[in-house]
Formats: sequence, structure tokens, C-alpha cells
Amino acid sequence: MNESEQSRAPGHHAARLRRVLAEDSRTAELGVQITVEGAAVHLAGPVASGRHKDELDRVLREAAPEMRVYNDVWVVEADEPGSGEELR
Amino acid sequence: MIRIAAVGDVHLDENARGRLRPALERVGRHADVLLLSGDLTRHGTVGEMRVVAEEFSGLPVPVVAVLGNHDHHSDAVPEVTDVLHDHDIEVLEGDSVVLPIGPHRLGIAGVKGFGGGFAGKCASAFGEPEIKAFVRHTVDVADRLRKALDALDADARVALMHYAPIPETLQGEPPEIYPFLGSYLLSEAIDATDVDLAVHGHAHYGAEQGMTPAGVPVRNVAQPVIRTAFAVYSIEP
Repeated sequence: MNESEQSRAPGHHAARLRRVLAEDSRTAELGVQITVEGAAVHLAGPVASGRHKDELDRVLREAAPEMRVYNDVWVVEADEPGSGEELR
Repeated sequence: MIRIAAVGDVHLDENARGRLRPALERVGRHADVLLLSGDLTRHGTVGEMRVVAEEFSGLPVPVVAVLGNHDHHSDAVPEVTDVLHDHDIEVLEGDSVVLPIGPHRLGIAGVKGFGGGFAGKCASAFGEPEIKAFVRHTVDVADRLRKALDALDADARVALMHYAPIPETLQGEPPEIYPFLGSYLLSEAIDATDVDLAVHGHAHYGAEQGMTPAGVPVRNVAQPVIRTAFAVYSIEP
């Protein structure tokens, strides 16, 4: 298996894309889950803003233009909590 | 009764400005103090920390923070710490603060923490210099936490961290990355002192509730875990 075939192995591909999203300054994202299946890459997990979700999409399409991107990332809720927890 | 609000991993930047503010305006109805358990920004820049400072300043309760790994990313820790201080937000790293809450004194000791893993599955200071430096950083941080907790003269004590002190609050994260999410040395420091509550963040897919081996409640308040603007815990001094 040559180098480009190795990098297309799904495990390597997912690991490479995970690093891209962590290390690209536009995303700096360590908290989303990335799954690669064939020519599809699936993103899931909570982020802080809709703009950030779009940035993940953009960076991923640049890094893997041959892949179909399914971006199911969601913006985490930030509502007032209900009753608190009493300890002891 | 002392009511403690806490949240971490809010990862604010200009695009997320004001996201938590509507709920924060009402934090005084829920709690006597607000703790921030790190990863307040995405890249640790001064600009992002200004957004954080504006989000969490001017509240009716005192605000006490530790920084997280994201807040270290731009190598500007003194500068981002100054931004929080300028907005009356206390930042702890190996030190503590005592706040009067009604008739009680609430002591809070804080550190960022670090990785290394948990009993039976943790790194040791052996071999290459890089590994030894990694483990020694955790040892140093845990030692600073222990000393800060030990020195607290208060009616109730809270340990505030970014990294996790126990594996239970990491459940939901891949076990392979636990050594990057926390260290048992932090819970050793907590159990060696008289702590009422330990709070951390960092693990977005973790679980909210856990307990140290000596029975101290541990709460993971990473915002993706609590799914509210803050969580609230009451302790009886």
C-alpha cells in the first residue's frame, strides 16, 4: 500500500481530519466527533455558536474536498437552570 | 447553606458574545457565587477573553475562575488573566480566595490541573525528557492544589479545576484519551484535605456526577454536559 492509499484508510483519514480541526486556527476544535465511512465524513457534537459550526464545515471541505460532509454539530443550550442539587 | 453556580468550557469568541448573558443576569436568584472551570475562550487571545470578561462581569455574585488548556493556546496567560482581573473576576492558579457568604466563609482553591491518567492506567516520570516533563507538570500542579487547599481557613472548601480529578466524570469520553483529560493526583490532593465539593470541566462528553475515593462529590460542569448556562450545587458548611 503506498502513502496516499494509507492516508485514505478510514482510520487514518478520520485521525488526520481530527488534527486539522484541532490545529486550524479557524476551528481550534477538539470537542467534535468525526466518523469516516467510505467517501462520507460525519461531524457530531456540541459547539458554542452557529458560526463555529459553519467554520467546521468550511475547513473540513478544504481539507477533504473529495468527501461528502454531513455536519450534525449543534449549538449547545445556554438557558437558565432549574432547581440546583443539594449535596449531603 | 451556600449555593454555588459553576460552568466551564463556554469557549466564547466574538461569534458567541452574549450567549449566556440572559441566564447570567438571573444568577443571583440561584447562587451566592459563580465558578468558571476554564476553557473560557477558543484560542486564549486577549480579544476572546474580553468577550468572556464582558459576559461574566457586573453580576450580582462574585466570580472566580481557573483557566483551561484553550485559554493557554496563545501563550498569553498573564495578559488574559489581567483582562479578567480588570473586570473583577478572580483567577486562581495554585492559590485561593475566601469569600464571605452570609455568616459563612467559603474557601475556593484553584488550579488548571493537567493530564496523566488514573490509578493503574497512568503515566510515570520515566524515560524520555518529554514524558518526564509531562508527568512532572501534573505533579507540580497537584502539589500546588494540595498546598492551596491546606492553607484555606474557611467554613466550606471547594477545589476548582479545569482537568478532571477522577475517571467517573469522564464516562462518555473514549477511554483512550482519559490520560489527556485528567489525573488521579488531583483527587489525591482533594482527599488529603477537607474539601466539600470539587468542580471541573474539560470533558465535553463526560458525565456530571462523580465522587473521589474518599467520598468528596465531584461535578463536571463543562457546558455541553450540563446543557444550561450554569449548574447550581448547595453545600451545608
